[in-house]
Amino acid sequence: MNESEDLSILGGRIANDDQLAYRQLFVLFYNKLSRFVMGFTKSKELTEEIVSDVFINIWRRRKNMEEIKNLKLYLYVSAKNITFNYLKKLHRENHTDLDSVEIEPEDPFADPGAALITREMNLKLKSAINDLPPRCKLIFTLIKEDGLTYKQTATLLDISVSTVENQLSIALKKISSAIRYTFRHN
Amino acid sequence: MLDQNSSSRNEFWTLLAKNLSKEANSEELQKLQAILLSNPDLHPQADMLKEMWQQRLIRNNIGSEAGYMRHIMKHKDEFFVEENHIEPDSGDAVAEANGGFFRTLFSKKRLTVLTILVFLILSTGAIYLFTQKSDAKLPAEERISSIVTKNGNRTKVVLPDGSQVWLNAGSKLDYDHSTFNKELREVSLNGEAYFDVIKNHEKPFIIHTKKMDIKVLGTVFNVRTYSDEKISEAALINGSIEVTLKDRKDQKIILKSNEKISIANEEPTPAIKEHKGMPAKTDPLPIPQIVVEELKPNPSSNIIGEIAWTQNKLYFEDESLEDIGLRMERWFGKKVTIANESLKNIHYTGNFENETLEEVLSYLQLSKTFNFRLGNDNVVIY
Repeated sequence: MNESEDLSILGGRIANDDQLAYRQLFVLFYNKLSRFVMGFTKSKELTEEIVSDVFINIWRRRKNMEEIKNLKLYLYVSAKNITFNYLKKLHRENHTDLDSVEIEPEDPFADPGAALITREMNLKLKSAINDLPPRCKLIFTLIKEDGLTYKQTATLLDISVSTVENQLSIALKKISSAIRYTFRHN
Repeated sequence: MLDQNSSSRNEFWTLLAKNLSKEANSEELQKLQAILLSNPDLHPQADMLKEMWQQRLIRNNIGSEAGYMRHIMKHKDEFFVEENHIEPDSGDAVAEANGGFFRTLFSKKRLTVLTILVFLILSTGAIYLFTQKSDAKLPAEERISSIVTKNGNRTKVVLPDGSQVWLNAGSKLDYDHSTFNKELREVSLNGEAYFDVIKNHEKPFIIHTKKMDIKVLGTVFNVRTYSDEKISEAALINGSIEVTLKDRKDQKIILKSNEKISIANEEPTPAIKEHKGMPAKTDPLPIPQIVVEELKPNPSSNIIGEIAWTQNKLYFEDESLEDIGLRMERWFGKKVTIANESLKNIHYTGNFENETLEEVLSYLQLSKTFNFRLGNDNVVIY
């Protein structure tokens, strides 16, 4: 079963007041949405508040779950809208600019000890990812870590699919050139 | 060299990106292969990026459970006023143990339920209830409803008051339907179950187990009671429950959020089994002893061992192969025999979700060597 089928089953169960399913959805997306929102708010407290709002809205409208065609995209778009509303209220419009977003990247290798990679290389990868331009890093993270498709990413960020495609290939190229040196000396 | 061909170089990154994010069609994949073939120096980078991409599959959800608890507590009015939303259904029938249902319910990824969980690892609750409840008029076999799951299966049942119960493998839940929901809501459990109890302050919900009774007014909790386990446990994620010990009825223990109580199931046994050449592992819980401790997730995996099963995870943390054998037996519904005594005391930590018994054993083999022979309905470890 693929992710979107999984999610639509979850959605159906949530519509039937199934809190187990609701909790599963929360746990699946809590960290991802928090990272996304945090990139804009740069505030832990505000992020927590926004993500909680995203999920409580899901629970409140659970009887109309079938109206949500793509639950995953819905969560991200909802997170974005709520974030932007909050920031507007706080008169921080400029923080909704994609070029000022600050995404905290994941460690490239969750368990470097287990992977066939040196600690040095892991650090290089990490700093290469961290050094990506803000928008590029955001797109890279949304696709790699959050598993959004090009199209979902484009819809979410109001940009074209070809921009997503370009940005992701730039990200890979930059990350790769940061570690090329390491390979040459192997 | 790729550097001499900048257009194919640019295309390479676009194609690789599409490949990794599963956006590439077959034509694009072929093109990517062709570029890689003519540029072998790109292989290490492509491999590294592929490897890195795979990492997202093993990301854990650190902090998510705690985040959920804060979320639920913030909006608790919307989650706890639920007296009437679940249709009571006949809990009388012995539920057909149904692994398929449970697998859908708790699909591959991490999940769990509501706010308050109670976990018990207890023993022989069922027999206890039969003897306790013999004062009613009808013969016991007509008054007692039993829900039973076999090893390898899990199921869900709705009790007459609307409370929901998820039963883990190899478990049995009994209640007297002639008295259930009259003044009290009493059930007894042998095995493991997860309860979502409908709130009703007038009729407390009591779970009888061999070592303790647990009283709740309306909450969500998970109960686990297996007769072959050494320790009984009750673990509470959130809220509070009242525990009464069978052999100390005057003493009530109130558990608060994130607390866990452990009670030894067996009578004191002075001798500790010793294996040749291997230092005896002290019994983790000298008997009879009660320990109340903080319930916390494993720092590296963030898994709360006690509730891992509700997330469809076979999880064990520094447990002996002997204990793991028991758990695998229930989980997979296959008899597990450890033929070599010296293996029983080897400890493992593991977290499995969709693996077969064979795969689990193969993983365990990686850290400490043993052999196993897999039959149709059994496995022998030696």
